[in-house]
Amino acid sequence: MPASACLEMRSIAMRYGEGAQAVQALSEIDLEIKEHEFVTIVGPSGCGKSTLLYLVGGFLRPSSGSLLLRGRPITGPGPDRGIVFQRYSLFPWLTVRSNIGYGLDEQGVARAERNRIVDEYVRLVHLDGFEDRYPRELSGGMQQRVALAQTLACRPDILLMDEPFGALDAQTRRILQDEVRRIWRQDAKTVLFVTHDVEEAVALGTRIVIMGARPGHIKEVLERDFDVADGEEFETNSAFGALKLHIWRSVKAEVEAAYA
Amino acid sequence: MKAYPVAKIIPLLLLAGVWQAASISGLLPVSVLPPLTDVAVALAAMLRSGELITNTLASFARAGAGFLIATIGGIALGLLMARRRVVERALEPILLLIYPVPKPALIPLFMVWLGIGDVSKVAVIALACLLPIVTATFNGARSVDPILVWSAKARGTSERRLLWRVVLPAALPQIAAGVRTAIAIAIIVLVSSEFISSEAGLGYLIFSYGGVGADDAMLAVVIYLAVLGFLLDRLYLSGLRRLMSWHAFAH
Repeated sequence: MPASACLEMRSIAMRYGEGAQAVQALSEIDLEIKEHEFVTIVGPSGCGKSTLLYLVGGFLRPSSGSLLLRGRPITGPGPDRGIVFQRYSLFPWLTVRSNIGYGLDEQGVARAERNRIVDEYVRLVHLDGFEDRYPRELSGGMQQRVALAQTLACRPDILLMDEPFGALDAQTRRILQDEVRRIWRQDAKTVLFVTHDVEEAVALGTRIVIMGARPGHIKEVLERDFDVADGEEFETNSAFGALKLHIWRSVKAEVEAAYA
Repeated sequence: MKAYPVAKIIPLLLLAGVWQAASISGLLPVSVLPPLTDVAVALAAMLRSGELITNTLASFARAGAGFLIATIGGIALGLLMARRRVVERALEPILLLIYPVPKPALIPLFMVWLGIGDVSKVAVIALACLLPIVTATFNGARSVDPILVWSAKARGTSERRLLWRVVLPAALPQIAAGVRTAIAIAIIVLVSSEFISSEAGLGYLIFSYGGVGADDAMLAVVIYLAVLGFLLDRLYLSGLRRLMSWHAFAH
């Protein structure tokens, strides 16, 4: 039996503003994402890749086209789709523990059960000992780990990630990439991951969507026909290098077209 | 409360020294400025007799009532304005009109409406304190990072709960700053209102001692009021630091 469609995007267009000032952010987006797929979306800044993610999140409505989640139209945000933003998405007035437990609290999970789940995710993202700290007391990398744990603790089966590691240093980024891949493999989540980093797109995505700008559109969709293991030093993997180069050239052409 | 650096007291001691020297040397006649020592004696006498305490309590009751009404009403109105366009459209022009009016100028009018007793004083204090709190709450609630709102909604927070879970806490630092301004305004309007008509209160003391030419006693109340205002502000700030330890205060 073929894997069923988790998300379906059918000729989605997105316009901001009206009349002469209207900006066409997305046009003719057709994409189908199967259950348990890890899809990365890569493209130059301004290509509307984050907008696409916000549409799936239900934070924005498309101007036209249809957006289906397991056959049902998306009408708003919901805890079935967990989202990790680029940064500053933690509640500054809540401790690490309360931030991670936020979604469980909102869904009425009993205190004992909530504490148990929070502890589990604190350990998962290696934040033991920081439970009672406030976000401003943590480094950027730690804050993003809390954000990841906050999202995962709600047990969404779809993960939406909006350049979650874009503001982090290279080492921290690589470690967190491995964690996300491990979680995806372990819990069989469906992941939609937006990035401007070509290497990240290849390291994580089993399928890579390249987007172009003006207006945002899907330029190319590539299957990654080799596996990337957790902690793999993919610098030595020639297939990885070839795919990365191909994507980089494709993205570069878009950037150059935008400057022309 | 943080230990207050000694260095900050030096200018005050210098000022006190200049004051005392100017009056005892005859540079300034006693009718212009009584010696600081006389003021201190008057202050001690008023403290001993309980006069200062009784009047402080009378003033505190008025200012406290007005301030409390303003805080609750101001936060409620500010949030409502931020969440409901209709309320914003209706109130904004009125607030803009009242904002620049020196509130003590409204005291006679309020006395005509509400009588010369405590009610009119509390009402003017409440109105004067309301404005900075409404404005701060509105601005704070309006400038909540949309990412936080999205994040809450994505984790199951309903539109109704959003106010308590996200908007209010996110606006709290700005609300706290508005409330601090309101504390200072409460004292100003309190004293002004007690000048006009009252039988008790610190403003009443200043006005009545000034009226009979007891400048040392009058100045003693003024200095007492300054210290009281300062301590109140410190107390508020230290309470805030404890309550909002999550926020990086710029102080």
